[in-house]
Amino acid sequence: MAENIKVYVPDNSIKKGYRSLFREMAEEVRTSKWLTWQLFKRDFKIIYQQSVLGILWILIPPMMTVGTFIFLNDAGIFNVGDISVPYPLFALLGVALWQVFATGLNSTTNSLMAAGSMISKINFPREALVFSSMGKVLITFLIQMGLVVVLFVYYGIVPPWTVILFPFTLIPVLLLALGLGLILSILNGVVRDVGRTLPIITTFLMFLTPILYATPQSGFLATLTEYNPLYYLLIVPRDLILIGETSLWDGYLISSLLSIGAFFACWIIFHLTETRIAERI
Amino acid sequence: MDDDVAIKVENVSKKFSRTLKRSMLYGVNDIGRNALGMSSHPEKLRKSEFWAVDDVSFELRKGEILGLIGPNGSGKSTLLKMLNGIYWPDKGRIMIDGKVGALIEVGAGFHPMLTGRENIYINAAILGMTKEETDERFDDIIEFADIGDFLDTPVKFYSSGMYVRLGFAVAIHCEPDVLLIDEVLAVGDIGFRAKCINTIVSKLDEMSVVLVSHNMPQVSRYCNSAMLLNKGCIVDCSDDVPSIINKYNDIFQGDAGRILNTDNNVIKEIIINDLITNKLSVDFRKSLDFDITLELNNNTKYIDFSILFMNKESQVVSQVNSKYNKEKISNIQSSLRINLTIPEIFLSPGIYSLWIVIQDYDTNEFLCGHYDTIQLEVVADFTSWAPTQMKGKWQLKQ
Repeated sequence: MAENIKVYVPDNSIKKGYRSLFREMAEEVRTSKWLTWQLFKRDFKIIYQQSVLGILWILIPPMMTVGTFIFLNDAGIFNVGDISVPYPLFALLGVALWQVFATGLNSTTNSLMAAGSMISKINFPREALVFSSMGKVLITFLIQMGLVVVLFVYYGIVPPWTVILFPFTLIPVLLLALGLGLILSILNGVVRDVGRTLPIITTFLMFLTPILYATPQSGFLATLTEYNPLYYLLIVPRDLILIGETSLWDGYLISSLLSIGAFFACWIIFHLTETRIAERI
Repeated sequence: MDDDVAIKVENVSKKFSRTLKRSMLYGVNDIGRNALGMSSHPEKLRKSEFWAVDDVSFELRKGEILGLIGPNGSGKSTLLKMLNGIYWPDKGRIMIDGKVGALIEVGAGFHPMLTGRENIYINAAILGMTKEETDERFDDIIEFADIGDFLDTPVKFYSSGMYVRLGFAVAIHCEPDVLLIDEVLAVGDIGFRAKCINTIVSKLDEMSVVLVSHNMPQVSRYCNSAMLLNKGCIVDCSDDVPSIINKYNDIFQGDAGRILNTDNNVIKEIIINDLITNKLSVDFRKSLDFDITLELNNNTKYIDFSILFMNKESQVVSQVNSKYNKEKISNIQSSLRINLTIPEIFLSPGIYSLWIVIQDYDTNEFLCGHYDTIQLEVVADFTSWAPTQMKGKWQLKQ
């Protein structure tokens, strides 16, 4: 048979075998680069249109969160613990990092559902929708980092040299969010409860992860933190920016491997099942 | 698969669930099984599922247009989406040679907030064009879409016609090997429709087309073969497009028509070509002879008598009317027997239903009528796009 003949059969993807699966996935990434970029540009252009404050909406939520915690701390209601750097800087960086994971997970999860009418009418690599929705998260993060830089200048702090490692240490948490997002976006396409539950879960996780308070030293929360991969994936990059060293390399390495493994596993599952959602979305 | 075959469909079926709750449950189940590398047993119907497309097979040769027709809900769009790979079949096999372009819904993927220019790039990318291809064909696209100054206006301010034009322009410039079109040509003005069809026809040496349409003249004019679907099954598929269209029209029959009378005004009897019948057939350019008996009350002095010929789309194609023929028929007897002869029938071949309507000549008041009670089939050795023909005098000049 000629090279460019497409064959569709029931349970299409699982009948092709794994080797052709990886080739297909690589091919899809190659062909959908331009599409992903276009979708990313589109999302970014429309995100704050018909809005007065526009791009300020990227900065308002983390400032509100940090402001609330400063207030709670000052009022003695909540104790953020012993922190060696100015708390606003510590907290703002933490929230910005957290949002990479949380909004990354939320926007990837909702990416397919939001494009439902397109998915059921055009055949195109759906990965592009999920990947491109991650781009928005990165832009948001970059803008929030601008605010962090302002705080550095305000407090007159010079970041340690390890700051150059910072962007690379973010990769595992991005992959984790993207991987989970790939799976959840498929499930959310079929069962909407997934997308509705997720913000509640990520909010809950935010309070379990020591990003707005110092790492707990004892008790139940300390044990939990020790087994929380997000703790390592988010706190190590922050330590590298603020302190210049970290004691968490072991946990970070294990969590990173877990994240990378999860990403590829989830991507394979996504590829195997993406066509399933066109008929259910 | 032979080299000259563009699409080969073998015993393809697709099922859907009638309820949303079960659809969710089955969806999670199927995804779970596929994710674990297991078959989802698509060939079995589960509770509340039905076959939306059932055991469909056909072949489309390169360079040909297949018309896919059928009543609403017959599975046309589902079949088209399977050809495009949007849905997987649950049974059978589909093979397609080449790049598939689909116009399932024009402008799917357009974002209302973005301008025409921005949407062209995004839509082209979604349809699988590269940046270079889009740059190269950009001028052709805007020329074809003919949206003028609106290129840099957000598409939410476009008229629906402009929207369709832009969507079609992008899709046709993807230069697919197989083009799937789902009724989208019904939108847009007549000029644009002609332009679309002409473009498709001009590209046929490098493209095959599957056209879903409810527009039978269009199907008979352009399709090399037609397939009639009903309730997911093939009723018939053949190169004899007019016969398939007749079968399509037959699906909608069964309406016995209506008879309306007012105050003792009735049509007693209708005899056509010496027959009392509700279905008759006549050859093109042969005569029709009506013998109609009326009983009307004394309030009417003169009558206005008309017979209208309605096509399958319930449009009046032609009529014969006593008033326009300068006839003033007096209501002088208790029983009026009127003879009317149409010497030559110039209706294009097809099935027409008759409306026989009697009105008061002076007041235009409706007296009585028979609607759709008689079916007339015009038979000829040609098929035509035009609803009626004209008699011409032909001469070869020296």
